[in-house]
Amino acid sequence: MRRAQSLTWSRLALAVSAAILVAFIGIPVGALIARGFIQGDVLAALRSPVATTALWLSLATSAIAVAVAVVLGTPAAYLLARHAFPGRSIVDTLIDLPVVLPPVVGGLALLVALGRHGVIGGPLDAAGVDVAFTTGAVVLAQLFVAVPFYIRAARAGFESVDRRLEAVSATLGAGGWRTFRRVTVPLALPSLIGGAVMCWARALGEFGATIMFAGNVFGRTQTMPLAILEAIETDVDAALAIAIVLIVLAFAGLLAFKALARLGGRVL
Amino acid sequence: MIRADIQTTVGSFDLKVDLAVDREITVLYGHSGAGKTLTLEAIAGLLTPREGRITLHDRVVFDSSAGVNVPPQRRDLGYLVQSYALFPHLTVAQNIAYGLGHVRRAERRDCVERFARMFGVDDLLHRRPARISGGQAQRVALARALAREPRVLLLDEPFAAVDSSNRRTMRRELRQLAQRLDLSVVMVTHDLTEAYNVGDRLAVIDRGRVLQAGPRDEVFHRPATARAAELLGVQNILPGRVVGADRDRVHVATGLGMIEAQAESRPATDHVQLAVRAEQIILERPDRPSTHRENRFQITIVDEAAFGFSHTLVVQVDDAASGAPTLEIDVPAHPYQVLNVPAHRDWRIHIPPEAVRVIAG
Repeated sequence: MRRAQSLTWSRLALAVSAAILVAFIGIPVGALIARGFIQGDVLAALRSPVATTALWLSLATSAIAVAVAVVLGTPAAYLLARHAFPGRSIVDTLIDLPVVLPPVVGGLALLVALGRHGVIGGPLDAAGVDVAFTTGAVVLAQLFVAVPFYIRAARAGFESVDRRLEAVSATLGAGGWRTFRRVTVPLALPSLIGGAVMCWARALGEFGATIMFAGNVFGRTQTMPLAILEAIETDVDAALAIAIVLIVLAFAGLLAFKALARLGGRVL
Repeated sequence: MIRADIQTTVGSFDLKVDLAVDREITVLYGHSGAGKTLTLEAIAGLLTPREGRITLHDRVVFDSSAGVNVPPQRRDLGYLVQSYALFPHLTVAQNIAYGLGHVRRAERRDCVERFARMFGVDDLLHRRPARISGGQAQRVALARALAREPRVLLLDEPFAAVDSSNRRTMRRELRQLAQRLDLSVVMVTHDLTEAYNVGDRLAVIDRGRVLQAGPRDEVFHRPATARAAELLGVQNILPGRVVGADRDRVHVATGLGMIEAQAESRPATDHVQLAVRAEQIILERPDRPSTHRENRFQITIVDEAAFGFSHTLVVQVDDAASGAPTLEIDVPAHPYQVLNVPAHRDWRIHIPPEAVRVIAG
């Protein structure tokens, strides 16, 4: 009897603390969406030039950032998952660094390296190539903060592939590349796609590094988060509308990620 | 002919193996952790030995001194790993076709069908590995490994995931298959019955070393060392001292008394071990005179274990020196009943001299 009672109390405590957290995240998000729809006209605001321009720029830059992350991050993740090499833990930590670093610091670092007087930016400038404060800089800023999310997921995916399957593939006449394409990648695919989704969601929400390294230029570097900053002073409805779009995209991305994780668990 | 003479160290494990395999089935037998799988991996090219030489049918695939190391995908052998490792994302048909990338599409389909039929899995072609049984998975894995028509087949515990009721059939099929496809087979197992039933030749491996290799019966009945005898399931191993030899007999003094053993020549050392299989010791009626002159002992049964078709008796020799070991005797169920063994504790045994194996050192 006592035991049953204490069990009920502990359950109640768990439920209350969980409810507080859900409310803490849910209420602001819900309030924002409610206010956008009740007080303003979200759909009309979304058709404003500020919103549409920012939306397309965000979708284009984040898509390119994810593509680059996949092309460069996949071999890096495979290397980290399958091979020991000197300095591996340092490389590993360096790749994770942007996750914990304030994005503004990342943007500043990019600016110092790729700005007009930077170590790489200097020679590029001499060759007539400007990087900072261009749309390209937006992509680089997004890549910088978002690529660790892809590499971490891809690495975990590669590590989960049974090495004996790769060994068997080799004894069946498949070289390294064929084994990678036909065994390793298909089996790690849920993780690879999940990582790409997380990477994309992070790139889409990128703010600090972008404003530092690419500035906030309408039509060129003003992505959705940056457009919110500007619109909040001139057109609150537009700011709310863009925020709602970001919330919806992020939510959909997370749902997709979780669905893929479940799918991966079932297939393998 | 496969020849692997290799040395390597994996972690703290030291492997030093010299193995020769002809067109037949060689069983690599030993306890788990003896280095069996490492040896297969080295032959397959999945593990690069520190030094040595591996040849497959006169083709050198590894030679540390000549800098030769052919990668696994070009060693042209079939390797059935433990628990089969079928590709989970591919169907049975795609698994079998996996190694046929170099074959034209139409031919490939014929080949997949032929091998699927050969292994009785042609009705599973569209299933995923998660939806077939252990025995079916073994057949698919064999079909996959053999579809490339290798001359060498490596098998790592091929029957471990198969129901015991199906094992006997599969062992027989494996032997027929090896003959029909003219394969050199190296099979790894830790199961002595399996080693005996499948192998033409037996190599006993222990702690990274081949203790003994040769034709199955030779190895099974004439273990070269006490450790090999122990691994080969010889229950009775007695230390002794050679005190004399005449014609084809060696006389050995043991804690149980004098034992005569059949041997072509006197062993190199006087300190020897005698190995006697439990099933070769004969239980005799104590109330009848023995027809044997030598190796007769009065015994007392001290313990007994039954395994359905036979009984294992643990017996104490009555006139043994103090501290002398007990013996194990296997008595088949029928004589056990006829003699009414449980009714008496005191019996007589006879150890035929030809059943005693003298191991030097």
